Amino acid sequence: MSRHVLAKLTTAIVMLAVLIIGGQELYAHRHYEEPVVLGPGVTRVERLSDYFEPLRGTMNDSVVYVLEGEEEGGKAFIFGGSHPGEVAGTLAAIVLVENAVVRQGTLYIVPHMNRSGSTGTQPSGGYPLYYHIDTAFGSRKFRMGDRVTHPLDQWPDPDVYIHYPSGQSLSYVEIRNSNRCWPGRPNGTLTEQTNYAAMELIRKHDVNIAVDFHEAELMYPVTNCIVAPSKSASIATMAAINLSIDFDIHTEPSPPGYRGLSHREIGDHSDAYPFLIEVPEPFLDQPTGPKTESLLLEGKDEILMRAGDKGLLFVEFDESGKPIELRVGRHLSTTMSLLEEWNNFSPDLQISIEAPDYYDLMDNGVGAFLRDPDTADPSMVVFD
Amino acid sequence: MFLKVSLILAAMVAAYVIANGPLKLSVELAMVFAAIVGAVASGNWLPLRHIAEGSSTYLDLALIFFTATLFMNVIKASGGLDLVVRGILSRFGDKRAVALILLMFVMLIPGALTGAGSVSVLVSGGAVAMALTYLGVSKDRITAMIFLLAGLAAVAPPVSVWAMLTCAGTAIPYVGFELPLGIPVLILGTFTVMWLGLRPTESMGDEAMALPEVGPEVSGWRTALPFVVVFSLIVASRVWPHSMPILGLPLIFLVGAIVAYALNFRKIDFFKLSSETVSQLLPLLATVISIGIVIQLMTLTGVRGLISYAVIAMPLWLVFTLLPITIPVSEGILGFGGAAVIGIPLIWMLNSVGLHPTVALSGLSLLWCLGDALPPTAIIGRLTCQTVGFEDNYSTFLKTCAVPWLAITVVGTLMVIFSRELSFLVRA
Repeated sequence: MSRHVLAKLTTAIVMLAVLIIGGQELYAHRHYEEPVVLGPGVTRVERLSDYFEPLRGTMNDSVVYVLEGEEEGGKAFIFGGSHPGEVAGTLAAIVLVENAVVRQGTLYIVPHMNRSGSTGTQPSGGYPLYYHIDTAFGSRKFRMGDRVTHPLDQWPDPDVYIHYPSGQSLSYVEIRNSNRCWPGRPNGTLTEQTNYAAMELIRKHDVNIAVDFHEAELMYPVTNCIVAPSKSASIATMAAINLSIDFDIHTEPSPPGYRGLSHREIGDHSDAYPFLIEVPEPFLDQPTGPKTESLLLEGKDEILMRAGDKGLLFVEFDESGKPIELRVGRHLSTTMSLLEEWNNFSPDLQISIEAPDYYDLMDNGVGAFLRDPDTADPSMVVFD
Repeated sequence: MFLKVSLILAAMVAAYVIANGPLKLSVELAMVFAAIVGAVASGNWLPLRHIAEGSSTYLDLALIFFTATLFMNVIKASGGLDLVVRGILSRFGDKRAVALILLMFVMLIPGALTGAGSVSVLVSGGAVAMALTYLGVSKDRITAMIFLLAGLAAVAPPVSVWAMLTCAGTAIPYVGFELPLGIPVLILGTFTVMWLGLRPTESMGDEAMALPEVGPEVSGWRTALPFVVVFSLIVASRVWPHSMPILGLPLIFLVGAIVAYALNFRKIDFFKLSSETVSQLLPLLATVISIGIVIQLMTLTGVRGLISYAVIAMPLWLVFTLLPITIPVSEGILGFGGAAVIGIPLIWMLNSVGLHPTVALSGLSLLWCLGDALPPTAIIGRLTCQTVGFEDNYSTFLKTCAVPWLAITVVGTLMVIFSRELSFLVRA
């Protein structure tokens, strides 16, 4: 065997070994199931496939937690994980599932709207595979995700994505972006079918308000805000005014010309009033240090702070960072404020809940509101 | 953190210089070696998961390279390329300017439709190069012309991947780009072909003047049909996006290759040709895989964030002054990743000082396309040299690009600086 062939063979074996060993971690991450403990308010557990059968057995047959009050009232659809890398949205939804009690009305909660996207991280992103939330009983482990549907579940991409039904052209990768594929369609891609199932849920139950949890870069002007179309604007504005005592928040109009987003299409294709909440996540910004779990959870970064000193950020950012409890707490308080305003707006369809708020989270951390799956009744634990 | 990440960056640069110099590793291996040194220096040791994940970043691009090249190699082996060249030159050979403009459109259309300059090079580059040879254009000028037109094709509407990726990251709708992208591409494309091709630079002896011979078994419809199939599939996916299954460019080119193979009457060993195509593309495929690993490790170590900060933290006048360098260099280092790392924060910054994001992004796209000729990746530049068969020094090719390059740079930069004044071009 010549030296040349031997060198080629050695290189091939080394590369194969790297792919197999490194790939095992990716495989384990893709198949890791997060335990969610059913809280006192959960009355039923469904799946998105209950609203659109073809989703059954797919990676995006996401769990729907139903929390029904003793009194009938209005209905809210609350979801996180449209962008699985925006982890505060998923955690806020899980905190609601494990803690919220509904007095009147019904909540439908989906922590992993694009579950497929949560089963892989972003190639070239350098993300951690998991994040851990400290609790009194140890730590709870969660999957870190990508922004879009995993290519193993939806591939190939077209060379340009054309949104249904508007026909607007978007970058090819957006065909796997859950928040560019609303309202979805039954014979579309997995991402479109997932959103179609959610729309069917909204239409079947005559859902009144839909709340979509997100996180945004600090360099992005649309952060610390509630995004709402004109039909939802007065509720969003009143909620933001009430919340401004607690933290910096404002409202942003949903641009009519930018299609596929939940705050635009849910309102246009159902009777629901949609809202999208953005909180700042430093991990998402480009000019940061290493993309570590600590940056994800503590939200502190020296490079980004310097960008802030130069006036390049749209939110205040100092040594205290943007920790996960702040981001989850903002989501929870903003949701409750939106529900309060909804109740003022529509007294016949009240939605009354009890759940931890911003101050509870800031005082006690996220871990204080997560239950121990190991000591919980196994029938009360759902693996998602 | 600043100091630590800066030291990691310094370690990576030193490792690259040593690997590419005394250790005599190829550019690709030297880049991966440097990135691994950076990972070790940052305390991540040998991050196998990140190496595996990063290597898949540009898997789609690698598949497009292979299938599109296979498609063109089948056409070439069946004599179709000769027929195309003969057709263009016999009709327009005596009207040089018209022939050049026509060849410009032949180059622009595949890239404009797919957003990939590589597709222009692979689909049209061979035929256009041959036609230019018969028009008496020297090889260095042909290579420069094909590279620059492929770059402009990637910028041209309807699909400009740089603009689309930046729009996706900045939540700016990808609408209203037709004129800000289309007008400069047509003006600069015309300037490029005229500057490089209007005056014959090779002696046009009898041999050069003779058009390629085409056998009786090669017919127009047999040559045209595979192209018709490929473009029909691309166009159909636009016209009926919600009823056509998503085939993806790799499968579309593969279908084209199979159609070309089925229609040709020359004996072609398809598997041998496939194997030769892989060998032909191996350096390029190695580059895109290496770049994916490098970007992943640069992000892991914080080096990518530091570079991004360095670009946007400059005073505005310095940002403008350095745009002709920072934007192409970001493309040369990161490929399309440059749009994410630098484009997104840059557009937010320019937007915040009152510039028009759509026009500014169109200007930046013109600058990005130039970076595809710059090391360490130089993906499209190298692909063009390979397609044309240009074997001279790479710097000769870059020097030949100089004047059109300068023109593109000036137009792109001025479009960014005067984006507010040019906002009338945007029709949302």
